[in-house]
Amino acid sequence: MGAISGPPCDTDLILDIFEQLLHGVTLGAMYAMVAAGLALMLGVARLINFAHGEFFMLGAYAFWFGYSELGLPYPLAALLAPAVMVLFGIAYQRTVIRAILPRSWHVQLIATLATSIVMTNLAIIVFGTQPKEVPTALSSRVLDVGGFRMVWQRLLVLAASLLIFWGLNRFVARTRTGRAMRAMSQNREACAVVGVDVQRTAMITFALSAALAAAAAALVSPLFNIFPDMGTTLTLKAFAAVVAGGFGYVNGAIAASFLIGLTEALAGSYVSYAYKDAIAFLIMIAVLLWRPQGLFGRRIGI
Amino acid sequence: MRRAGWLALGVFVVTVPWLLSAAVPRQQRYILHVLIFTAIVAALALSYDLVVGHVGSLSLAHPAFFGIGAYTAAILATRAGWPFLAGVLGAVIAAALVAALVGVPLFRLAEHAFAVGTLGLALVTSVVANNWVEVTRGPLCVTGIPKPRLGPLAITTLPAFYWLALAALVAVALFYRGLTTFRLGRAFHAVRDNEPLAGAAGVDPLKYRLLAFTLAAAIAGGIGALYAHYLSVMCPEEMTVSLTVNLLVIVFLGGVGSLRGVLLGAVVFTALPEVLRLAPTWRLVIYGGLLLLVVIRSPGGLESLLRRTAGAR
Amino acid sequence: MALLEVRGLVKRFLGVTAVDHVDLAVEPGELVSLIGPNGSGKTTLFNCVTGYLAADGGRVTFRGHDLTGAPPHRVARLGVSRTFQQVSVFGRLSALDNLLVFLQQHQEERLLARLLRTPGLRRLEAVAVERARRLLDLVGLGAKAEAPAGSLSYGQRKLLAFAGALMPDPELLLLDEPAAAVNPTMINQMKEHILALHREGKTVVLVEHNMDVVMDISERVVVLDHGQKIAEGPPKAIRRDPRVVEAYFGR
Repeated sequence: MGAISGPPCDTDLILDIFEQLLHGVTLGAMYAMVAAGLALMLGVARLINFAHGEFFMLGAYAFWFGYSELGLPYPLAALLAPAVMVLFGIAYQRTVIRAILPRSWHVQLIATLATSIVMTNLAIIVFGTQPKEVPTALSSRVLDVGGFRMVWQRLLVLAASLLIFWGLNRFVARTRTGRAMRAMSQNREACAVVGVDVQRTAMITFALSAALAAAAAALVSPLFNIFPDMGTTLTLKAFAAVVAGGFGYVNGAIAASFLIGLTEALAGSYVSYAYKDAIAFLIMIAVLLWRPQGLFGRRIGI
Repeated sequence: MRRAGWLALGVFVVTVPWLLSAAVPRQQRYILHVLIFTAIVAALALSYDLVVGHVGSLSLAHPAFFGIGAYTAAILATRAGWPFLAGVLGAVIAAALVAALVGVPLFRLAEHAFAVGTLGLALVTSVVANNWVEVTRGPLCVTGIPKPRLGPLAITTLPAFYWLALAALVAVALFYRGLTTFRLGRAFHAVRDNEPLAGAAGVDPLKYRLLAFTLAAAIAGGIGALYAHYLSVMCPEEMTVSLTVNLLVIVFLGGVGSLRGVLLGAVVFTALPEVLRLAPTWRLVIYGGLLLLVVIRSPGGLESLLRRTAGAR
Repeated sequence: MALLEVRGLVKRFLGVTAVDHVDLAVEPGELVSLIGPNGSGKTTLFNCVTGYLAADGGRVTFRGHDLTGAPPHRVARLGVSRTFQQVSVFGRLSALDNLLVFLQQHQEERLLARLLRTPGLRRLEAVAVERARRLLDLVGLGAKAEAPAGSLSYGQRKLLAFAGALMPDPELLLLDEPAAAVNPTMINQMKEHILALHREGKTVVLVEHNMDVVMDISERVVVLDHGQKIAEGPPKAIRRDPRVVEAYFGR
C-alpha cells in the first residue's frame, strides 16, 4: 500500500479495527475448536481433561514434523496432525482415561494435570525449547483489498473452522454415534439400558476431541510459533470458554471462544498487549458473576 | 511419637549446622540450602493442605498467594525500606486480603468452576507479575532484597537462616495443628465430608471454606516473604503452575490431611531430587508420572502406606 | 401464634409443580405427621422450609422470623433441626464428634482463644462432650462413641443422625422418614424417642410412610397429594377420609 505519511485518517483506523476484528475471529476460531473438544468430553463422558492443550501442542509438532521434516505438502501435513493425534488420543484413552473416568473429578483433574506436565516436559526434552516456525505458502501471501490486508492463512482458518463446526453439529444431530453422544450427555445410566455402547461412544468422542485440537493446530501453526509450553495457556483459556459457555454445552463453548478471541484481539491491540492472556479469565469471571450457569443458562446435554 | 522422641528429634534438627560442619564441611553450605528450601516448601505445603485436605476445596491458586506475599515483602523492603518483620506482616495481609476478596465470589461457584477460577487467579497474578513492570520490574525481577533483621539480630549466615526457616516451619505446623483439631477442625471436616449436613448442623460452609482459604493464603504470603528475603531476588517464574504440581505431589503423595504425611512428602519430594541432581524437566516428568500413579492407585499416599505397615506389625 | 407457619408455598421443577400453594401451621408442642403417596411433595416441602431449595412462591415463618430463602445453617441456628431421608452422617468423624458438630453454632469463635484453648472454651467443650455422651447413651450408641460414623450399621447411623438433630436442643424437629428401612425393634425405639420428645414439649413434624407409626403417635395428620394439601385432621378422621383413600389407592 502506498504509504501516506501524514496525520492518520479515519479510513486507516477503520481498516485497522477491521483487521483486528478479523484477527480476533480467527483467534476465536482456534480457541473454539479446542474448547469444543473439551466441552464434548465434559458433556458426553463427564471428563475433566487438563491435558487437552497438549493435544494441540503435540498436533502442532506433528504438523511441523510432517511439513518441515518430511516435506509433505500442506494439505497432507495438515491431515497428518489429526490422524496422529487420533491414534495418540486412543492410546491415551485406553491407558489414563479409562483409569480415571470412574473416579471423582478431583482425581481426574490432578491426574490430567500431571499428564499435562509430563507431556510438556517430554516435549521440551525431545523438541527443545527453541520455538519452531512453520511458514507455509498461504501464511506468507497476503490478500490485499483496497488497503485492507489479511494473510490468506487466516481466512483458511476461518473457513475451515466454520466448515468443521457445521460438520460437527451435523454429526451430533444426524448420525447414530452423534445421537448416542447426545443421549450419554443427558442421561448416562439410561444409555446402557437402552443399548448404547457407552465405551465405544466415549472413545469416539475422545478421538474426535483430540482431532479437533490437532486440526486447530495444523491450521494455526503457520501463523504462530510452536513451543512446548503452548498447550498450558490454551487449556486454561479453553476451560474458561467451556465454563462461560455452560459446562458441557458445545455450541456455548464455541460462542464463548469467539467472544474471548475478539476481546483478546481488540484489547490486545488497543488496551494492553501484555495483559491479553488474562482477558479470557476476566471474561469468564464476568460471565459467572452475571450468570453462574454460563452464558446460555442451565442446559442439559451437549 | 512420645515426648522423648520429639525432644531428641528437636535437638538433632537444631544442631544440624554444627553436625554438618563437623562431618562434611565442604558440603555444609549446599546441604543447608537444601534443608532451608525444604523447610520453606514444607510450610507452604502445610498451608495448602489446609484448603485441599481439611476443607476439601481443590484450589489451584496457591502460587498466586505465595507470589503476592513474596512480591509485597520484596517491594516493601527495596522501595519503601520497611524492616523485615513489618514487610512479612505486609505480605501476610496482602495475600489474605486478596484471598478474602476473590474467595467470596469464587466459593459461590460449583466445584469445577471453582477449580478453574482459582487456576485463572494464578494465571492472572502471574501475568501481572510479568507485566506490571513499574512495580514488579517484570522479567528483570526485584533484586537487592536485604537479609532479614530481627531487631538487633541480622540473619546473614546460612545456619542463621536455617534456624529462621525452621522456626517458621514449627510455627506453621503448630498453627496447622491448632486449626485442624477440636472445634475448628471438626467444622472444617464436617464441611468437607458432608456439606448439606453441615448446613443442617448450623455450620455455614461458605464461612469456613473462606476462613481456611484466607488463613492458608496468609501463611503462603508469609512464607513467600521469607523466600524472597532468602533468595534476595524475586522473579515471576517462582509462581507458576509447576509450583501447584509440586504442592499437589507433596500433599497427595505424602498424605492429604495429615501433618506427618505432608511433612514427610515435603522432605521426600524436595530433598530427594536435589540429592539426585535431577534436571528440572526430568524431575517434572517423574513427578507427573508419580502423581498420576499415586492418585489413581493409592489416594492416601505415603501416610496411609505407613499407617498400614505400622498396623500390620 | 403458630411456631411454624407455611403460607402458600410453591415449588416448581422443570414444569412440574412439586409443591402447589401449601398452607401449614404447626403449634408449639404439636406432633404432626405429613403423609402422602410418593412424589406428593413432602420432602420437597421440608427442603424448602429448611433452606435446601429456594421456593418459587409463598412464605415460611418460624417464631415470627421470616425463614423464606434462608440458607440451611441460618435455619438451624434459629432452632430448627432436621434429619434426611437418605441417612446422613459425617462418615470420617467419630460418633462423638458427629454430635459435637451440631453444637458448633453455640460456641464463640475467637481465633486466639481457640488456639490457646483458654479455660472458658475448655469448659464449653467439656459441657458439650457431656451432652453428646448422654445423647449417645440415650440412643444406645454409648459404646460406639469413638467409632467412625462410617463404620456403623444403617440403623445405628440413623440413630446417630437422630441424636445429632437433638444436640442443639431445637424447638422444632423435622424428621424425614424416621421409620424407613429399619427393623421393627428399631421402629419401636424411634416411636418411643419421638413420644418422649413430645412429652418434653418439643414440636415434631414427621414425614412418614409407615401408617402404623403415623396413626399410633400423631396428634394431627396432614395429607399431600400431587403437591397439594388434600386433608388434615386427627389420625382417625384421616383414615376414613375418602379423598385420602382415593389418593393412595384410587385411580
